[in-house]
Amino acid sequence: MSGPRTGFMIPTIEAHPEEIYDIELEQSLLEANAKLARENRAVLDRHGITAIDFMGAIGSGKTTLITRLVERLKDRIGVAVFNGDATTSADADAIANQNVPIVQIATVNGCHLDANLVGKALQKIDLEKLRLICIENIGNLICPAEFPLGSKARVVVISVTEGPWMVRKHPHMFLGAQVVVINKTDLAEVMGVSIEELTRDVHTLKPDIKVIPTSCKTGAGVDEVAAALLEV
Amino acid sequence: MHEFSIASSIVENVLELAERERAVKVLEVRLVIGEFTQIEGDQLRFCFESIVHGTPLEGAALEIETSDAGVRCPHCGYAGPPKYWDGALSSALVPTLQCPECGKAAEPAEGHECAIKAVKFTRDEEEAMA
Repeated sequence: MSGPRTGFMIPTIEAHPEEIYDIELEQSLLEANAKLARENRAVLDRHGITAIDFMGAIGSGKTTLITRLVERLKDRIGVAVFNGDATTSADADAIANQNVPIVQIATVNGCHLDANLVGKALQKIDLEKLRLICIENIGNLICPAEFPLGSKARVVVISVTEGPWMVRKHPHMFLGAQVVVINKTDLAEVMGVSIEELTRDVHTLKPDIKVIPTSCKTGAGVDEVAAALLEV
Repeated sequence: MHEFSIASSIVENVLELAERERAVKVLEVRLVIGEFTQIEGDQLRFCFESIVHGTPLEGAALEIETSDAGVRCPHCGYAGPPKYWDGALSSALVPTLQCPECGKAAEPAEGHECAIKAVKFTRDEEEAMA
């Protein structure tokens, strides 16, 4: 604005074909997944099914734990398993001889399962007579945390072979979980890893989380996990 | 790399808006990301920049605002900032769900956002009027 000093300034506006617009919005980037997760949950609730999301690193024992749970529960209640994996069907193959409904979810290069994939998997099986669906997430301790699937509870599986700092290295994963399984307790002494200290770390983050030490190899603690899942 | 999923979602949403608003060029996208989420700003920016070539978003600045974590305690009624984990070996602050007042389990109340807050763009007025 320039011009002769004549007492007051006359504001001038230059017309310009291009104007800058600034639009305010509250567009949640996680809402699309969250909405599908709520839809999955509604379908599950309608059928009286509890879905559990198992998260944990590759090799922590998610597949073996789910296999042991299926062995114990399949004669009492209807159980199904969804196996998330980037490309292989190794985990689904390992559970196949349990003769329960299984869906392999290949995320190809995706680092986490999402509610859309789980929704598609729900359409692949007969939901009547099912009481429990164990969903094995991708072996990744970071990404799945932001993507709820519609499960009633989330279980984090860690094992003593992953060393003493698992909880401190991946705190966010535990904040959204209801149960933590500390697996491979039969190797704790050899590894020099304290189950008490891991448990204390988990409770520092979230005091009301249930921590269950297990050895899927010997079967120790697996009954307790089964009971905890049916109570959530 | 869930940042890639988030970046794709940003681009998808902003392109939709750009088309609706007849935007010629997007100058800036402002995000708000909560402290309780595990979304890494630099990685997100890198993913964003690598997928916007040849779109109206090319060259747009991605501004990231962090929203603080907040908790609520159902046991003692506390509401406010979380207790951070002292000596967690982490260089970043680690918010916990331990009530800072009574030590029992608190619930996350704030800091879970991951949203587009505002978009700044230019538009061709003549075409917009047409």
